[in-house]
Order: sequence, then structure tokens, then C-alpha cells
Amino acid sequence: MKDYWKSIDEKNLRIVETKQKEIEPEFSIVGLSSEDVKLRSTRRDFLKICGYTAVSAAILSSCETPVRKAIPYLIQPEEITPGIANYYASTYFDGNDYCSILVKTREGRPIKIEGNELSGISRGGTMPKIQASVLNLYDTARYTDPLIDKAKTSWEQIDSDIKKELNNISTKEGNLIILASTVISPSTKQLFGDFKEKYPGTEIIYYDAVSSSAILSANKLSFDRAVIPEYKFDQAQLIVGFNADFLGTWIMPVEFTKQYSQRRDLTNGETSISRHIQFESIMSLTGSNADERYAIKPSEEAILLLNLYNALAVKINSPTYKVKASSLDVSQLAEELWENKGKSLVVSGTNSIPVQVIVNAINSLLNNYENTIHINHAVLVKQAHDKDVLDVVKRMNDGDVDGLIFYNTNPLYDFPDVENFKNGLSQVGLTISLAETADETSDACKYVCPDNNFLESWNDAEPKEGYFSLAQPAINKLYNTRCAQDSFLSWIDSDSDYYSYIQNYWKENLFNKQDKYPVFRTFWNHCLQNGVLELKEESQAHPDFKLDVTTYFDELVKSHSKATHEGLELIIYETIAIGNGKHANNPWLQELPDAISKVTWDNYVAVSPKYAKAQGIENEDVVIINDQIELPVIVQVGQPEGTIAIAMGYGRTVAGRVAKNIGQNSFGFTEFVDDLRQYSVTNIQLTKTKKTYPLALTQSHHSMEGRGLIREATLSDYLKNPSSGNEEHEKAEEEAVTLYKKPDYKGHHWALAIDLNKCSGCGNCVLACQVENNVAVIGKEEVRNRRIMHWIRIDRYFEGEEDRPAVVHQPVMCQHCDNAPCENVCPVAATSHSDEGLNQMTYNRCIGTRYCMNNCPYRVRRFNWYDYSDSKNFEYNLNNDVEKMALNPDVTVRSRGIVEKCTFCLQRIQEKKLNAKKENRTLKDGEIKTACAQTCPSNAIVFGDLNDKNSQVSKLFKDPRSYHLLEALHTLSSVAYLTKIRNKKNLTV
Amino acid sequence: MKEKIRFLITNLLSTILLVFAIQFFVQSQTNAPEQYKVCAACHTIGEGKLIGPDLKGITEKRDEAWLIDFIRSSQTMIKNGDEEAVKLFDEYKIPMPDNKMTDEEIKEILTFIRNSSKEPVLADKTESQSVVPASSTSETVLEDFMPYQLAKSRLRLNIKFLISILLILLMLIDLIFTRFIKFRIIHIVIILVALTLGVQVVVAKAIGLGRQEGYEPDQPIKFSHKVHVTGNKIDCKYCHSTVEESRYAGIPSTSVCLNCHHVVREGQHTGTTEINKIYEAFESQKPIEWVKVHNLPDHVFFSHAQHVAVGKVDCNHCHGEVENMDRIRQVNSLSMGWCINCHRNTEVQFKSNEYYTSFMKLHDDIKSGKISKVTVDQVGGNNCQACHN
Repeated sequence: MKDYWKSIDEKNLRIVETKQKEIEPEFSIVGLSSEDVKLRSTRRDFLKICGYTAVSAAILSSCETPVRKAIPYLIQPEEITPGIANYYASTYFDGNDYCSILVKTREGRPIKIEGNELSGISRGGTMPKIQASVLNLYDTARYTDPLIDKAKTSWEQIDSDIKKELNNISTKEGNLIILASTVISPSTKQLFGDFKEKYPGTEIIYYDAVSSSAILSANKLSFDRAVIPEYKFDQAQLIVGFNADFLGTWIMPVEFTKQYSQRRDLTNGETSISRHIQFESIMSLTGSNADERYAIKPSEEAILLLNLYNALAVKINSPTYKVKASSLDVSQLAEELWENKGKSLVVSGTNSIPVQVIVNAINSLLNNYENTIHINHAVLVKQAHDKDVLDVVKRMNDGDVDGLIFYNTNPLYDFPDVENFKNGLSQVGLTISLAETADETSDACKYVCPDNNFLESWNDAEPKEGYFSLAQPAINKLYNTRCAQDSFLSWIDSDSDYYSYIQNYWKENLFNKQDKYPVFRTFWNHCLQNGVLELKEESQAHPDFKLDVTTYFDELVKSHSKATHEGLELIIYETIAIGNGKHANNPWLQELPDAISKVTWDNYVAVSPKYAKAQGIENEDVVIINDQIELPVIVQVGQPEGTIAIAMGYGRTVAGRVAKNIGQNSFGFTEFVDDLRQYSVTNIQLTKTKKTYPLALTQSHHSMEGRGLIREATLSDYLKNPSSGNEEHEKAEEEAVTLYKKPDYKGHHWALAIDLNKCSGCGNCVLACQVENNVAVIGKEEVRNRRIMHWIRIDRYFEGEEDRPAVVHQPVMCQHCDNAPCENVCPVAATSHSDEGLNQMTYNRCIGTRYCMNNCPYRVRRFNWYDYSDSKNFEYNLNNDVEKMALNPDVTVRSRGIVEKCTFCLQRIQEKKLNAKKENRTLKDGEIKTACAQTCPSNAIVFGDLNDKNSQVSKLFKDPRSYHLLEALHTLSSVAYLTKIRNKKNLTV
Repeated sequence: MKEKIRFLITNLLSTILLVFAIQFFVQSQTNAPEQYKVCAACHTIGEGKLIGPDLKGITEKRDEAWLIDFIRSSQTMIKNGDEEAVKLFDEYKIPMPDNKMTDEEIKEILTFIRNSSKEPVLADKTESQSVVPASSTSETVLEDFMPYQLAKSRLRLNIKFLISILLILLMLIDLIFTRFIKFRIIHIVIILVALTLGVQVVVAKAIGLGRQEGYEPDQPIKFSHKVHVTGNKIDCKYCHSTVEESRYAGIPSTSVCLNCHHVVREGQHTGTTEINKIYEAFESQKPIEWVKVHNLPDHVFFSHAQHVAVGKVDCNHCHGEVENMDRIRQVNSLSMGWCINCHRNTEVQFKSNEYYTSFMKLHDDIKSGKISKVTVDQVGGNNCQACHN
């Protein structure tokens, strides 16, 4: 058994002998001995009982049964059946993440987002931001009306004012700029063209806060196509990542996770899995999943890549270039890559053109183009060139911009030099914001024309060439807002609305590219129902990589030797939940623990353990970075020495009540170098202070004290012996002798299997479960009190050296033990076992003794310490009528004083069972999916019936890799885990 | 020792106070015999006329033999030309249905009516009753609906309960001050017995808290199920169209009413007054706010589709004889015990529904003769989370 530990504190604790504290008596009454207390009934007792009686009497006297109303529709919409959900295919794109989705609506209210399985890109997967986006619709910080100078006005008024100003600009031939984050909607792009026609001085400038500008430029240089290529992680046998968090945040994490996990699957008789080596400067989700991970400083990346290029160039007698040796030896890596020629993939997330050119060169040497990378299928989700926005700022400051329209962008928050931007903006005559929610930029604009939420609007998208998708409204507009495109349409005096505009676009541009549907109406309905349209690939010759890399080599070598490496290097990174801060006002996202550090509700400075020890810094100590911001510290294992990292997306100043003043804005540290935005900077000074700042960690909440919870093996061992690493399971099975009868389930026996080899630890299941089951958000203070309500937690364990740890993620939810320890301690039988193997929790019976929580060895039961709904102290998502519309009506909202836990999404089981009964048929395997299983982008969770011998879950339970948590306790849990298999070869680097 | 006794007494006293408080505020319901429920559809005791006359004091007014005959078959009496019966029929116009009951059963009902007539009616009479004169047309009978007031606190103290409290108080006084009875054990025994009795009453009452058996509120439109179902032979599912698909049976939308009522503009009982309310709602775009009769607590998830489409349970099974109700009344307690009892006794569509083929072990048990039938509770119908999730 390996010695796993969850935090450095825990590791150290094991060495230090803890002194048993003298146990104080639990209760004491001043002046009385404990003997006295036992015997005497005091005046106080009498008063207490009297008080109790009086209150009871008062409550009982108010026990009038209220008159309840049943209000039917006036005219019931044909498609709505009260009590039955409707699903609408739609598209999520927030300027950063793309996903084809299904919107679940109940009685016309969107309540849940599911992935669309028909999409060839997201294939049914989602990510936490997408899961949580349904709450953005009901966000109380949304603009409710158009504003002129912050005063509410009507659309007619604002339109006539804006049109007057726009016409003024065109008559004096002034410059109008539409500043937007990447737009992937082809119709919107065409609309921008129409807008340009009407107002000729218009320019459309894309600005992405998290930019991939260098990849675009590098591919322009390499292949004459300024695009992001299509990456195929499912085709790659060997993946080498350099600072690219492709499972968490980089470009298309949902698609990449789907592809990646497909090659980590050993359950389908496969005997090989892909191998993943990651070099990175932060402890990212991707790095935590790598077979081998190496912590490097950002400044080392280029030299590593240059050495790698040289080592590969030798193989085909290409010229090599002079470069100093890297800190890690890459010759073995080069050998391995060479072995996997055409089946490997090298990616880098660094925003530097020379680095990206070298990466292209390496992939080209390895013959990866057309195999694992396709430049002809461009990914369009990031199209901004960093230079453009710099030009805009310069021109604004020169007084060269007369009008600026902000669409889906917030530069006054996420621009590096906000002051400069602000100064420029003050010289712009016409400022219009199309923001949906109040943000820093819209706050500074004269006109605010609030956009609809994406769940209220029509839209289309082309995230990848040839892949189209449609977005349709799932609810009527909640407020007096207007779809941004409709605003543009009304400003160009168009009669058409955006819905017919999209239809026209599709009719003219896409309808003729297919031959399945002869009539446009059926074509449109088909696309709308499926949500996606995927056109056949047109085979094009792949351009060759013919670029001479000499200049880029020189440039990199020069810049590397020139750079001063004093002080620390700082990395500004994106987290999975908060991202670039656009959705920071979403309490679900704020409370989702970071995948690695397990911190909620804050950003922090991640420092390496060695540095922390040398400087005497501990967790929660406040430090000052470059005299700019003060932040608490988290000592993060795996953080390379000499570097620190801060998450972006925090420190919003104009936002709703949730996001405001949480954490610090770190975008100010990013800088433009050679017209490219750099997310890692050098020469950082870290100053200690004497202050501390509390952080809400869920880290050592649920320590399982180093028992065999995570089991793993290397691929070579696994191939020799499939139950390798899982020897304990056999032992436990042998020792599982009992006098009691084994439980016998006559019908179904529900169970869950989790493949640790596929689970990436992204936290999407946690959020999906929260949305599905009305799990409360409790806020930072309560999280610190270790009362987090999530029904699933993802345990993260480190193993090995502090600076080179191996990481494992393990989702833990109620194990639904057949022999459940919680059930026999409940004094009121509020928790009991069902005839289908479920451990049931009956809320209305629970009296809150919490005996069950104490007796649960898995720590998966949650207690409602407060009424989290309708409470002024928990102003998150359950205390006003609008936000409560996101609640799932099939699940009880729990009140104070009761215990809750995972139910295996019982409402879904009941629904599908009922459907089968109604349709007079048996249940199909895979028909019922719990929220976590349905949403998992890596398909790591499988739900099913153990009594069905052919079900997928039955097969997984019999897999030699399968085991249960704490199986020696003979709890007979219904959740099985499959051992993690690492494709480890121990490179000497 | 003294301390202990004092402690005991304080606790006892406050418990009694609590018990008294509950008793005071719990709406007491007199235990009507099962058969009377049929009568209560048309009659009240001391609460005015409904479809039939008020039964208060009826046992004094008429002799028992006449009453028994009339209850068993009023129409026969009318045919036979009984003077009183004919007079009654002329007044109310609605024939009372025949009842197949034994003399004992009828006598039980009559005793109940006699007892109920004696009880003081503290409930304040509603306006409608005093204002509307007794008229003989059936139209006004319908208008004569008395608004149901659920939260009326009636001071009907249970005799059993009062006695137990008195006993406890007496015993306590004797125990502490007067000391007539020498042996303290006697006090304690009597107190304990009295306490048990009192608690029994309170528990019975407390369990009934929040239950609405007999609830029959006024509706915004005097919609009569009797007219629509019995008279016009409309199927339940025509209006409650989602009953076989969804959890909710579905209260029909106004547009469904209009399907017929755009032609039928005058009713047989209320003329145009009630039907006009539909047009009003439709024109003002305001949905009709019906008062929900069958309420389940929020933590109960009940599915109509499961019971009607899958279980083939008849609507009447839970909702009573809706076809004979002018105003909808909750006839069953809808308590958990009531649900569970039915689940224990009702057979599932085990052989006819394909879904149940996955219950292999039960099929084996039937084959081997171990069980003869499969009831709902055997297929998980009594699991807590079948209804509480």
C-alpha cells in the first residue's frame, strides 16, 4: 500500500506524536458539581418547559390548513404536459467555451443543462461552467431594462438616440468599433457585414481575455491559415503537453476530455492506453491526470522544446540549431515520440509565436499532421489577435475612435492596463454596451442595451469548420431585454428579426450543402431538433510545413538568454469553475472546490512547498505581490520552485452580490510582449505580511487515513495480472464471511461503477448533482465550518515526492451499502434500505440526531445546519423567487435540521421506471442515468442494474480491477471503483 | 427524594398544559359511522340545508320506524303515497337514493344524528344561510352552498380527556396538600392511568392534524361534477387529460372548458351566471383560480400516471363518487397509512405488464407456489423513497 496523503499538514502530522488532550466534561453549570446537575431540577428547568409549552401552544393554534390554489393554464400550450420535462437542443457559447446542449425545461422553466449526444464535438459531455449556466438566466444582477446614463429608458428611446449618434459618426466619416470576444455565429458575422454596409466606418475587433493569438499566428506562418487546428487526442498514442490544460480549460476541454478518456478505457477489452506526459508550471487538472508530470518554470519551456526539436531533427538529418541544454534531458522523450511517429501529439498553451512555431515543427517532424492534427478543420472558438485590441486602445487614446460597441466582452475588468483603457474610453463619444449582466465595462458606458440570456435567444454557431449548431430560446424573456443581434438589426433599420435572419442565412448558405432534405422547412426542423448540423468533410490537401524555423530558434534563444530570471515567475491561470470571471456571480461555480487545491470562494497565491518552507510561509498567510495585490497563500505541491500562480477571474468590482469583492483581480499582472498577451511574467516580488486570511478549503474535510481507497497499477503490471494493485479486494472477498443472509433484491439492484482510470477530476459531476438535486450553496463561512453540502465530493490524493507528486481523483458519493452502518443507528428509521438496493433518506422523518453521519465510514451524509432557502444569511440562489425557478420540482428542498445525501438520482429512476411501465416494456440497460453519469465528459461513471447480468455495470463489477471503498468493513457497497492504471515508463529526464 | 418529586410534578404539570393546549386547538371531529358518509353528501346536522334537508332534530320530529323506511327507500314511500314523504319530495325535488342497510346500521346513524343534534353548535352561521330564504327550487339549493371553514376552532372537549385531566389534578392536589389517600402508590397509579388516557386522545387528535378528510371548499365557479359526469357522460380523462401521462391529473385549462361551452351557454341549474365566469376569465386573460381539494404535503411525490395508467386504479377508488358530487369533497383521509394499506392489498398488473418480467425471483416464487399474488409492496411500492424523494 502506498502512503497517500491529502495535504502537507497531514503528512507532517503523521510524524509528530499528538498529545491526547484532557477531555473536559461536556456540560457544566457554574457552581454545581456534576452530581448536583444530574439530580436537581431547577427553576430554570421549569421555565424552559413552560416556555416550550407556550410556544407549542402558540404554534399549534396557528395550525390552520392554508387554502391552496390550483391554477391551470388559460390556454395550455400543446407541447407542455405539467409534470413532464421537455428538452430543447441548443448551444452554449460564452465567448470561451462551446458545447452543444439539451435544455431541460419544466412547465416552461429551464432547470438543467445536459450534453447533446448528437454533437460530434461535445458528444454529450459538459463542463462545470456549462452545467451552472442555467442559474445565470435567473441571476438577479441581470439588467432588466435598457439604460441611458444609468437611467432606465425604453427601447424606442435608446434606439433613436443611438441611431442618431451612429448616423452622426457616419456622416463625419468617423470610426466605429465593435469590440467583441470571439464570435462563432456565422449569422452574426454576416449581420456585422450588413452593419458595416450601413455604417461604413465600422470595424469588428475580437478581443479574448484568454487568448490563443500565438497559435493563430504560428499557423498563419506555418500553413498560411490563421486558425487553431483540430486536435485528435483519441488518435494519439503519446500525448506531450506543455502548459496546455486541455482537460480543464484549454480551447475545447469538453471535446478533448471525451477524446482523451476514450483512449484511457480498459474495460472494453482494450490492452493499450495512451500515454501522457505533461510539462507544466502550475498544478493543473491535465497535469494531475498525466502518466508522468514534470514541473517546469514558464521560462524553461522554450528551451525544452528547442532541445526536443533538435533531438528529433537529428533523426531525419534535418539541420539542428545551437541551443543550451535544458534542465531536463529530453533525449528519451524524443526517442519515445519517434517510436510513436504519426501517433503522437505535442501541444503547448503558451501564447508565444516562436514557441508555437517550434511545436508545429515538432509535430511536422513527427508526421502528426493529418493524423492527430488537422489544419483543414479549423477550430473557431478563439479568433482574436492580441495586436488588434492594442491598436484599439492606442487609437482611442489618440482620439481616433468615435464610437465603441462592447459585445460579450469586459475589457475594463480583464485588460492588463485597465487605466489606459479607461482613459482611452473617456475620449470615445459613443459607448454602447450589450452586456447581459452588470459588469465593469457596461458600468462605464453611456448606453446599455441588455442582451438576452442565451437560454432566451435564437443563435447559431460554427465552433469548428463544417460543424454547425443552433441555439433556441427555452423560455420567454424574463426582463425587458433584447437579443444583441436584434439590437444591431434595429440599428440598421432592418425589418427582419434575428430569428428570420438566421433562417435566411441557413437557407442561403447551409441548406444547399446537404442533400438529405429537399425542403428547407424540414431541413430547418431537423437541424433545430438535433441542435447540430455536421456537414461532410471536403477532402482538401493538407498544406506542408515548409517554414524555416531558424529565425524562431534564434529569437527564442535570444529572448531566453536576455530575460532576467531574478525574483519569482508568476503564472496567471484559468480555473475550471470561474474561468475568465464572466460567470463569477454564479454561486454554484464559486462553491465548486478547485480540482487540485480544493479551495472555494477565493483565489490565492500558489507557492511551492520548498519555497514556502524557506520563507516560512504557511497556508492562509497573506503576502503582497509586487506591491499590487494582497492575497493569501496556498502551499501547492507540484508547483515548480521559483514560481507562483494566481487564478484569474476573481476580484470583480461591478458584479452581482455573489461575485463582488471575492478574491483579487490578477489580470493586471498579464502583459503584452511583442503584441502578444503573456500570462506568465517574471521578476515578481513576494513580500510577507503578518496578516492571515481565512480560506475555505475542503481539502482535509474527509481524510480517510491512508486506507486502501485508491488502488492503482502500472499498465505493464496490469497486462501481466489484471487484478494487479487490487490484491486487497480478493482478500476482502475471502474474509467476507457472515452469518447473516445476503440481501436479496427481487427486482432491480441499482449500482454505480466508477472507472478511476477515466475520471479526470474536473468536478462536473459535483455540479450536475448540485443542479439536479437542489443542493444548497452555503457560502464561505459555512464551508470553512466543514458543512459543504455537495452530495459528491472529489477526493484528491497525492503520492510520492512533494515537488513531483502523482495525483489521483476519486469521486465519492453515498455508497448505498447493502449492509449500511447508517441505517441501524437511526432512532426514527428515517434512513432505511429499499427493495432495489438503495439506501433511502426520508427527510420528513429525520429529526437530525446525526447518528447516521457519525456512523457512516464514507462521510457522505450532509446535515442542514440552517435553512439555506429563504434566509437572509444565505443570499445565494435559494432566497428569491426568480432564482428559485432553477430548482428541480422533482426533488424536495430540504429544510433545517435534517440529513441528506446522494439518492442515486431516485427521481430519474422513478421516471424511467414509470415510462417503461407505461410503455409495457422492460427497462433497457443504460436508460437510467444519474446526473453525474450523464454529464461526465469522460464517461467514467456507469449506472445500472446489478440484477441484470448483461448490464454494463454488472460487467464492471466483475472486472478484476473493481473494488469497493473500505470493503473490509463488509458494508457491501453498491459503488465499485476500478483501479487506476498508469502508463508509466519512468523516463529519466 | 423531595427534589425528584418536585421535578416530576413540574414536568407533569407542563405536559398537561401542553396536552391541554393541543386539545384546545385541534379541530375535533366527531366520529361518524361509516354509512353516514353517504348521507353527508346531501345533508348536514345543524349546518343548514344542502341538497337535502338539515337533519338536526330529525329524530325528535319523526318516529324511528318512518325514518328507517324512508332511509331504506324513500321512492317506495312516495309511490305508496306517504303524506310526509310526498311533501318532502315536493319541497326538495331531488329523490334520495335507496340505501341497502340493516336496521342496526340505520339505527346507528340515527343515534349519531341524535347525539350530534344535541351538541351545541358554536360555529358561527355563515351569511349565505341566513340571507338565502328556504326556497324549493333546485337552483337555489346549489347556491345554498355553505362555505367550508376548515380552521374553525370548536370547543368540543372530549369527555375522556377532561376526566383524565381532572383526575390528574385531583390526585396531585391530594398528593401535595390534602393527603386523603394514605398510600402514595395509589396516586401514582391513578395519575399514570389518567395520563395514558389523555395522551391517547391527544395522539389520536394530533395524528389527524393537517388531514382534510371531508374538505369541501367553495370553488370560484360552481362547477358540478355530477352534471358533467353523470348528466353529460363526459369521461374523466377528457378534462383531466394528463392523468395517464404525468404525475398530475391536470386541472383543465380554460380553453378546454370552452371546447363545449362555446356552444353550451346556459346550465340546467345555474343558468348563465356560472358559465359566464368562463368567458370572463377568458376575456380578461386571467386563469380561474380553483381551490385545491386533495392536498398532499410537499414532501409527498404522488404520480397519477403510476396509479391510473400502470396500476389501472379507478379514479373513484381515491376520489370517491365524484360523479355524484356537485361540489368536490375529499372522501378519503389521504394519510400515509391509507396509502400503505392499499399498497399492501392491491395486486399489481404483474403478468400483463412486460415491465415486471425483470422481477425474475417473484415469477419463480409464483411458479413454485410460494406466493399466490404480487402486491404493490412486493415490488417496492412501500419503499420510503417511492414517494418521498
